[in-house]
Amino acid sequence: MSYSERVLRKKENVTGYLFILPTLIGFLSFVFGPMVAAVILSFFSWDLFTPPKFVGLGNYRALLGDEHLLSVYKNTLILVGGVVSLEIIGGLIVAVLIEQRILRSLKYFLRTTYFFPYVISATAVALVWHLLLNPDLGVVNYYLSKIGIDRINWLFSTQWARFSIILVETWKNIGFYIVIFLAGLQNIPRQLYEAAEVDGANRVQQFFYLTLPLLSPTTFFLIVVGLINAFQIFDMPYVLTRGGPGGATRTVVMYIYETGFRFFNMGYAATVSLSLFVFIAVLTFIQFRMSGRWVFYR
Amino acid sequence: MPQNTYRKRRLGLLWEIVSYFVLFFGALVILMPFAWMFSTSFGTAETAFSLPPRWIPNFFNTKSYRQLLEAVPFFRYMWNSFKVAALITVGQLVTCSTAAYAFARIRFRGRDPIFLLLLSSMMIPIQVTVIPLFILVRRVGLYNTHASLILPVVISAFGVFLLRQFFLTIPAELEEAARIDGASHFVIYFRIILPLSGPALSTLAVLCFLYFWNELFRPLIFINSIEKYTIPLGLVMLRGQYDVGSPTRTMAAVTLAIIPAVVIFILAQRYLVEGIAITGLKE
Repeated sequence: MSYSERVLRKKENVTGYLFILPTLIGFLSFVFGPMVAAVILSFFSWDLFTPPKFVGLGNYRALLGDEHLLSVYKNTLILVGGVVSLEIIGGLIVAVLIEQRILRSLKYFLRTTYFFPYVISATAVALVWHLLLNPDLGVVNYYLSKIGIDRINWLFSTQWARFSIILVETWKNIGFYIVIFLAGLQNIPRQLYEAAEVDGANRVQQFFYLTLPLLSPTTFFLIVVGLINAFQIFDMPYVLTRGGPGGATRTVVMYIYETGFRFFNMGYAATVSLSLFVFIAVLTFIQFRMSGRWVFYR
Repeated sequence: MPQNTYRKRRLGLLWEIVSYFVLFFGALVILMPFAWMFSTSFGTAETAFSLPPRWIPNFFNTKSYRQLLEAVPFFRYMWNSFKVAALITVGQLVTCSTAAYAFARIRFRGRDPIFLLLLSSMMIPIQVTVIPLFILVRRVGLYNTHASLILPVVISAFGVFLLRQFFLTIPAELEEAARIDGASHFVIYFRIILPLSGPALSTLAVLCFLYFWNELFRPLIFINSIEKYTIPLGLVMLRGQYDVGSPTRTMAAVTLAIIPAVVIFILAQRYLVEGIAITGLKE
């Protein structure tokens, strides 16, 4: 390497670091720093007002014997399972139905409509649905009674309250899934369907043997992202059901919020949040390991 | 086999009808809550829960809006939300575009490991970092300020990723002439790359603004006085501790609260939808 080359190389290095400097500083102080701090905090008991007390693995031991934690994890798993499967299946069905329509303006109208709730805050959505789902005065039960379905106790019975969260969360997010599925569908070459038709494959066969495998990278992406987001569910249960009835819709993040910012149990809240992080990370890792079995890249 | 073709065509028509029905029924379910919200916001306490519901708003009855604006400083909330979301957006556009340029165009030592580290940070849930951040914010005296909401998020791994992917699609030949003439990276970034990146920057801006306009979790933790509330916080508090808030007033508030999102949605829908579709295609 000549002298001038070395000078040039060095100049590139300096310029590169100057360009990423704001992002780098931001990440060290607001993401990675706090991440490390959370780990340290998990070995302490601290209420913010008295000095922090080192408790070793005390918080982790408490984690294992915490019945509340068990129940919020159970609630979260139920909600996550319901939300993600409904969003994936519903989003896929609607996307496939939209994609086969011929009229372009209609396609555009439908995509726009379904996507709309995605840009509205979960808070606003939950406030509206809270009134719509009122068991006695709500619009939903009124129209259901018209088709002969008896009063459903949407928000105040254990099972229905969970189902309500799943429904409204899906209602809000389904447009996101539809938009991404549509983009994935448009990437599948038309000729494959023509060839399948010549070979006598009907619509159902085409869906299962062509669309589904060719769409699997998109589906995989949506499951990974959907799960990561769903595990952090907070706004919807916080506003729609306030975690009720009797804690049936209290989620892990609501528990972290209460532990940390209502009861100022900083060390334990940090420990619970780390458990959530590990949970999400392991789940994502497993998905990537298993993806080879069902995801096909062309 | 004419009979077979006939059956096939009839089945096709049936399929057509069923799928149209499903799609339009779904669209109705999506739109109905907004229609009800809008018409109820112009109702009175008596008509709020009238069944069958009123679908046509009575625009002359603006009592609930007047009540709302008398009860809480709602325009203040809107201004606060706008201020917070807009400043974060401007900040992210600057930090993400410079970093994305470096990751796409400058060969510096450690570039790829740093980029990977940045990407992997997207998996860290906000709940993990928010507890130490809360302690930090209190320590430096920023508790209950908008700065505590803005500063920690003027950087974004997602934004860097999105813009880098776009910058990579810009042909390098465009810069070659400039580089031969001795233009620095800053000049190339500012004069060539940025002007070509309108759509990508708009996508990031729209996604970022909406995200922070709608955000509830951090304001709930970092803000505690009414005059500093952002919209989602104001909405939650408006309902009251035991759901005693008047439904018409709440619906008036929700209607006002979503107007900016609706306007952005109408004006910038293309960037939103395309931006989201692009993120989905990067496996």
